[in-house]
Amino acid sequence: MSVQRVSEDELHAYVDGQLDGNRRLAVERWLADDAEAARRADDYRVQTALLHDLFDTVLREPPTDAEQDLTDRLKGRLAFNDNRPAWHARPVVRWAAAVMLVVAGAGGGWFGRGTQAPSPVAQQQQQQRQTLATFAQEATQAHRFYTSDERFQVELGADNQDELNGWLSKRMGRDVFGPDLGRIGFRLIGGRSLPTDLGAGAQYMYINDADKRITLFVGAPQSGNTANFSFTQNGDVSTFYWVEGPLAYALAGRLSKEELLEIAKAVYSDVKAGPPRRDPPQDQQRPQEQQQQPQQQQDQPAGVQPISDTQKPKDS
Amino acid sequence: MSKFGVDLEVHIASLRRYARALLRNNRADAEDLVQEALTRAVARSDSFQAGTNLRAWLFTILHNVHVNQVRSKAARPVEVDVDDVESKLVTPARQEERVELREMMRAVDELPEEQRKVLLLVALEGLKYDEVAEMLGVPIGTVMSRLSRAREAIRTKLANEGGVALRRVK
Repeated sequence: MSVQRVSEDELHAYVDGQLDGNRRLAVERWLADDAEAARRADDYRVQTALLHDLFDTVLREPPTDAEQDLTDRLKGRLAFNDNRPAWHARPVVRWAAAVMLVVAGAGGGWFGRGTQAPSPVAQQQQQQRQTLATFAQEATQAHRFYTSDERFQVELGADNQDELNGWLSKRMGRDVFGPDLGRIGFRLIGGRSLPTDLGAGAQYMYINDADKRITLFVGAPQSGNTANFSFTQNGDVSTFYWVEGPLAYALAGRLSKEELLEIAKAVYSDVKAGPPRRDPPQDQQRPQEQQQQPQQQQDQPAGVQPISDTQKPKDS
Repeated sequence: MSKFGVDLEVHIASLRRYARALLRNNRADAEDLVQEALTRAVARSDSFQAGTNLRAWLFTILHNVHVNQVRSKAARPVEVDVDDVESKLVTPARQEERVELREMMRAVDELPEEQRKVLLLVALEGLKYDEVAEMLGVPIGTVMSRLSRAREAIRTKLANEGGVALRRVK
């Protein structure tokens, strides 16, 4: 590829996640050769992180009564056909969902801080169930949010899947990948990293010929006890979620339960089989027990890393 | 579509955060601004076209309300004891325990407002450059130069006031 000069504006666009894949690579090449520019990009990222540290607390403050009242009125005015499902009716749920999404949506590159303190063993199972339910809700909300506007549906496209998987693996500190769902008609279009209750998570987005989009949300639960498929439905979004090995998965889409289940089965067998890297394929018939071993593949090397990824979730 | 309601609440939470940051962490002023903006949004809901960018629409309304508030305050200056303002600004809030957060807060406060707005809209709220340009009514080149100046100014301040601070948060 011919070397195109990288502009000052592109350095900012790179930091802000507003560059397309080709130019992103050009900037990365530039940063690899220019230590001063790399330091600047790094410092800009830190500034963004500090802004979130300073002001994300506002998101956790419940809205004033007046704000909530105005929000409800505005909602009525703007969306006359808004058939709000029942779960929406609880203000705390609505507010919590909004918090999660704003944190997730902001800046593109920010991931949640703070992993939770370990809980007593006796509570662990109950907690896992609770955690998974929260995780599923986060997945559902993230699906709703990021399929709502095509312009910011993914943070990084799937043009280079190794890059995408490597980047998200680094973010999560676990080896994750977006399975190939081509055989059931869904094409991977990209992904993003998101904060979840479980720490950094990854969302992969797929689309089919009918423009129907599904998202696979991957999180890292503290206790990786294998859990069977569970199903939840919020409004028009269906979600299947389960735990396999060290990871929790949630598959969300505006589909019927039956349609989504077929896709979930395909995803399940793919993620169980492992990433389709250049390595020889792994044995797909491993017994489930073996899946529980923690796979700490923290230092998964990736070909090209955006500079922000020098941040490690564990440090924060 | 139920997702619309969720989107709206997401955007409003985002507005509240932006207002707080814009108004130097003054909670009461920020709540006033958001309420005024939402009131205006309700009154002008006819002007929103379904399917267009709801977030940009809301931020634009908030921006306009803020500009008007600043203008009317400038027209009728309120007597304020400087010491009061000063102490309000430097009183460490709970989340500002970390030194680098205090320094960041101060550095952001000291930015010219036009630069502060652009930085907050882009870095904190994740708006696209063209959305910010349209919202502020300036060319995109202006957005980029303000962003660049804001980031460099903060960088210089943080480096001067405690060279280690930047490295520590990583």
